[in-house]
Amino acid sequence: MSDIKEISPTNLMLFGIIGGLIGIYISPYFPTAGALGAICAVIWGAEAVRRVAKYGLGTGVPSIGQIALGMGVIAAMFGLAIVKPLPIAGPIVALITASVIGFVIGWFAQHVIKMKIPVMIRCMTEIAAAGALIIIGYSAAVGGNYDFVRNLIPRVFDTGVMLAVFWVGAMAMLHPFNACLGPDEKQKRLLYLAGSTGAITMVIMGVAALMTLGVSGVITLALGIILWVIFYKKFWDEVYSDAASVVGTGLIPKTEA
Amino acid sequence: MVLDLTMSMAILALMGALATIAGCIEDLESDVGSQSNPNSQVQLAPQMNFLHRIYNKAISGEPISNGLSAVTGGVVTTVLLNARFYPLMAIVIGALIAAVIYGIFATTSYAGRVASQARFKQPLYMDIMRYTTPSIIGHNFIVCFCLVAIAYIQYVILGYPFTIPFLALIWGISVGAIGSSVGDVHYGGEREFQNREFGCGLNTALSGRIVRKAESGLRTSLDNVWFCAKFGGPATGIGLGLTVFFSSWPTTIWGYTWTAMLVGVIILAVMTIMNRLVEIQVKNAYGPYKEDKEEKGAVAVAHTH
Amino acid sequence: MVALVDPTTLIDILLIGLSGTLICLAVHFIPVGGAPAAMAQATGIGTGTVELAAGSGLVGLITSSYMYAHEPASSMVLIMAAGAMGSAIMLASTMLAGGLIYAYGVAVPFASAQVKRDPITRQRQDTYISKGTQGQGIPTICFVSGVVGAALGGAGGGLIYFVLMGYYTPLIAATSAAAVAGVFTMGVFYVNSVIPSYGVGGTIEGVHDPKFRRVVPKDVVTSVIVSMLCGVVAILIAGGMTP
Repeated sequence: MSDIKEISPTNLMLFGIIGGLIGIYISPYFPTAGALGAICAVIWGAEAVRRVAKYGLGTGVPSIGQIALGMGVIAAMFGLAIVKPLPIAGPIVALITASVIGFVIGWFAQHVIKMKIPVMIRCMTEIAAAGALIIIGYSAAVGGNYDFVRNLIPRVFDTGVMLAVFWVGAMAMLHPFNACLGPDEKQKRLLYLAGSTGAITMVIMGVAALMTLGVSGVITLALGIILWVIFYKKFWDEVYSDAASVVGTGLIPKTEA
Repeated sequence: MVLDLTMSMAILALMGALATIAGCIEDLESDVGSQSNPNSQVQLAPQMNFLHRIYNKAISGEPISNGLSAVTGGVVTTVLLNARFYPLMAIVIGALIAAVIYGIFATTSYAGRVASQARFKQPLYMDIMRYTTPSIIGHNFIVCFCLVAIAYIQYVILGYPFTIPFLALIWGISVGAIGSSVGDVHYGGEREFQNREFGCGLNTALSGRIVRKAESGLRTSLDNVWFCAKFGGPATGIGLGLTVFFSSWPTTIWGYTWTAMLVGVIILAVMTIMNRLVEIQVKNAYGPYKEDKEEKGAVAVAHTH
Repeated sequence: MVALVDPTTLIDILLIGLSGTLICLAVHFIPVGGAPAAMAQATGIGTGTVELAAGSGLVGLITSSYMYAHEPASSMVLIMAAGAMGSAIMLASTMLAGGLIYAYGVAVPFASAQVKRDPITRQRQDTYISKGTQGQGIPTICFVSGVVGAALGGAGGGLIYFVLMGYYTPLIAATSAAAVAGVFTMGVFYVNSVIPSYGVGGTIEGVHDPKFRRVVPKDVVTSVIVSMLCGVVAILIAGGMTP
């Protein structure tokens, strides 16, 4: 696997954080940007899941996506709620809180539970932070901006859309590695798939935004579908080039068994 | 909304029935696509030189994937209800959109998993993709419809404090948890290793050596459904039906009192006794395994039931 | 701003820590065999620890939240009991239906691989284990342990919900408070069911498993600290809601 050039984790981390924050900060003017920012965070999170889940967690890949968004949702609510005098600091406070919670859990997993996974602390921190950005980004796309009490509670919590953000967001992050698991897993294919799952989440958020925001929901929905088609097509191109063979139908090839 | 006792019982019975259908179809859906724990054998097979024509639907664990479809259905239904659609129509459209999205996740997991097994020469069969995915979508549509309908009843008629997507998500997680604990055992323990003697237990050494031939031709995932529909699916349905029914039944009859809690404890005791009766029966029916009996013959004499 | 050093607040943070611990303990009590159990190669329920604990605990959250909404006067203990009942019934139904499959679909006698005799029924276990497996099915001890575990998890979920509702209801509308408290409870639930799953390595037979005594202390320490951190965060969120 080492002969194939991979994008370094640090670059993807920067892509996720910067892309995510830019998207979130533009969202009050253009809500769709929140979802675009969240897709950047999904791609980053999927890569972090890939690095840590490679070691075998004992409970399957999905558990790490669940804990990520569990930490992410707690941190996001905290970060956005606590900074009442200075709402603009909310997303950054949430990002830092998530990193702290992720670091604490990663530290305990490594040193108290003794999981012996070298990248545990770093990946747990990254995953929690990505989870918080995913939550804020998609919520902002539905709520119009990231004001917790005035916008997110009535538009995202009361309608139950938060649960979709929480769950489909977790799925967007954990599905790529789970679906590409195997000895010939490749980063490029996984990242395209992460784009595709992130875009599907965006489509669902677009549908929800039709109810809360109207016109801007149409933009989110349409842009989500376009992005999904692009990433899904790219994913299939990779599948065609990576798979041993893609056949219309046929018998099972002869092997020694 | 306040209902009289007869009406509450009728609603509870309806919810129990919906849950039973949802549970049953959920398990069959996980067999069509081969998901969750038994899928580890399908995943392992090519590595043991057992190439196969079975779908590999590794979206995620069953609770998570069913939660995904239920919560999507719930959100779309909420949006449509908000736009003053007729409730039944809203639930149907919501479930349909959710099922299609679920189908998309299924295709990416089959393609992704097979592409990651290139070194074992496992081919990606596009006919399997085309035949099986619509069946997955169809099964998931029924599951999602039932779950969102339960959530709708609980939210609108019974007045639960959580919203439709929230309730649908929780029931989605539950149906997945029950489906993977109950029905999957029939698929993983029996159907995948049907060529072994019934009741011999499954030696770990057999891992990955799954059956690849059907009653006629090569086995595909569609062949697994009708087998599991005989027992695994209905048993899962009973599991979820019992859960939905008995988790609300005591408080429906006795209100929010300690009496209701006591009734709950009695239900639990009855279930424990039933499990014990099944245990006694299977232990008598299949007996201790022979090789162990000879080894510890002296102790076995003293052993009584 | 809510004062964090106020005694009532401190007690509430401790209660949230306690509920996290209950959820963490629940994972250890529930007999889960993971993928091998789905092939009847290991004792316990054939699925993952996280989802089973969460699936049963959240059913408990539904029952306890319903009780909270309709009997606001009901005591904390009764709400915890409602959660415990809902979640224990979910797990008992699952194990009962699962047992039917092990018994009549796969045809294996129930046997625990960790103890020679079932501590409750005193029945021999080791002679019933088939060749090349780590036990199979759900023997009585596992069933009882699972019911107790699910009850603990449901009680824990009900407790967090109760404490949080106490904070959020005076500040925002009741439906919003339920939504925020529900989402927060779910977050805490997932954090606290994943941590012990890593501790047990994905499989455990229940209270009689030697692994239980080995991993419970360190998992509980982790859960208490993480949950109390969550408790502080939850109460600070309430501070952000004050108009």
